[in-house]
Amino acid sequence: MSLALSEFGLPHELGADRTPEDRGIARDGVRLLVSDLEGETHHRFSELPELLREGDLLVVNESATLAASLPACTPHASFRVNVSTRYGSDLWLVEPRWGFGVPGPLPFAPGDRLEIGGVPARFVAEYPRIRRLGFVHAEGDLSTAMSAVGRPIHYGYLSREYPLDRYQTVFARVPGSAEMPSAARPFTPRLLDHLARSGVSIARIVLHSGVSSLEPGDGGPSGVPLFPEPFDVPKSAVDSIRTTHDRGGRVIAVGTTVVRALESATDACGLRPARGFTRLYLHADRPARTVDGLLTGFHEATSTHLALLASVAGLPRIERAYRAAVGAGYLGHEFGDSHLILLR
Amino acid sequence: MIEPRGPGRLAVVTGASRGLGATIARFLAGAGFDLLLTARGAEALEVHASGLSGFGTRVRSLAGDVSDREHRDRLRALVESEGRLDLLVNNASELGPSPLPRLSDYPIDELERVYRVNVVAPVAIVQDLLPYLESARGLVVNISSDAAIGGYLGWGGYGASKAALDLVSRTLATELRDRGVSVVSVDPGDLRTAMHQSAFPGEDISDRPLPEITLPFWAWLLHQDPRLVSGSRFRAQADRWEVPA
Repeated sequence: MSLALSEFGLPHELGADRTPEDRGIARDGVRLLVSDLEGETHHRFSELPELLREGDLLVVNESATLAASLPACTPHASFRVNVSTRYGSDLWLVEPRWGFGVPGPLPFAPGDRLEIGGVPARFVAEYPRIRRLGFVHAEGDLSTAMSAVGRPIHYGYLSREYPLDRYQTVFARVPGSAEMPSAARPFTPRLLDHLARSGVSIARIVLHSGVSSLEPGDGGPSGVPLFPEPFDVPKSAVDSIRTTHDRGGRVIAVGTTVVRALESATDACGLRPARGFTRLYLHADRPARTVDGLLTGFHEATSTHLALLASVAGLPRIERAYRAAVGAGYLGHEFGDSHLILLR
Repeated sequence: MIEPRGPGRLAVVTGASRGLGATIARFLAGAGFDLLLTARGAEALEVHASGLSGFGTRVRSLAGDVSDREHRDRLRALVESEGRLDLLVNNASELGPSPLPRLSDYPIDELERVYRVNVVAPVAIVQDLLPYLESARGLVVNISSDAAIGGYLGWGGYGASKAALDLVSRTLATELRDRGVSVVSVDPGDLRTAMHQSAFPGEDISDRPLPEITLPFWAWLLHQDPRLVSGSRFRAQADRWEVPA
């Protein structure tokens, strides 16, 4: 369970408080810790093509980030609503917050009226066991409100606010994530050219990530703070993954969202095209079987993120890598450094 | 999708006075549906229905037993006056005697009642309301149970009726596809409800989740294209819900 992981993770002070560009380096200039069977080695992200082999496949998430944080109000209070997940144009899972850095829950009861980004809405119900999330029924389309007055979701640890383009990856195509699928942020067009010349191919899936603000305890006494997220693993990705494996290449997920999507598209017969909503909880006792590696970021302790890493590489390996990362001062959060875990 | 098409989306929920049915009804009211709710207990139904007035949708209630033909006739007359039905949730269910008897000892009149409520009534209601489901290209949701595939001791009567209902769902989905009406079967999973308590009289069922645990599933299902999911059986507490390929 995730609790067993609370012993390690990235300490708070190692969180990146600004973009790499603001730290004076390019997107692909962030550090890259490579963790393979031999141990850990230290690189720059731009060296990725040399660290992979011809015939390897990177699976990326094409979800684009939304300007998901909207101003909101009732007649008595103004606050923010971070939109997490679209169920339909009129029904959304949202996280009302007192402010960017100030979490809820806010005291809403079913039927209460509120206005989100200028759109009249009603609070429908609290999310079961995750009190800071709730369903709202909107009279207009919140997508339009996001385009008009939305800002990217950000939390108190960032030193400043950034425009939406800083939160888009080079693969972003399908809008829908409340928060950036950040593992792919360091990729640049130049790096993609380099990877293609090195014989590394790319496959694409979609998983729209919801808000990441949940904490241990959300999800109930026995529960894990996971809620369903829309995913789509198309036939083209399944075919690329099969071909790669048939030829002895490695399948490397870019981001934990990709691992969750691929595992959600796997049944007893193996990987097949699938789409729907998933809240599949991956952890050390529910290993991921579809990937041979994972490119990801660094995150704080006690997160379902670490549990997922353990599902890919086992707890001891993750512990070892995090010790190396902390010792060498790697930066965490969405604008931080990168971590390539290779199983073979 | 049962997307908003202006005002006037109508849902019928049977067994709506308590437990899962009440939870579904409340969520549908929040999601903007006008509601027509039925249940046997007139008073509990009235209390629940009036509690939904804060959502700004029309909520009406009709007390009665779904296995009673006259009750179903009244239901049909009410839906007829609306002219369309977007969503029918056949939730009213008969557990059978408590404690649950073995099939080998099952009182046959009780078994017949279980089948009348859990299998025959949903078919009858679909027959009655079909024209209105057709004009709305509506969705029928039949509430099933994991007992339908379990073979659990004591659950033979109820489970067999729900297995029959699952087959009813699949068959109706096939029959009604051309008429634009979709049908799914949903296993809500174990829930902390009065019915579940009756199945385990005197036992502590506080480890079971409240019916609200199923809300994310209903939110998801209501926004799928009904034709794409028709014929499927879903588990509301599963860790993923897929649109069939």
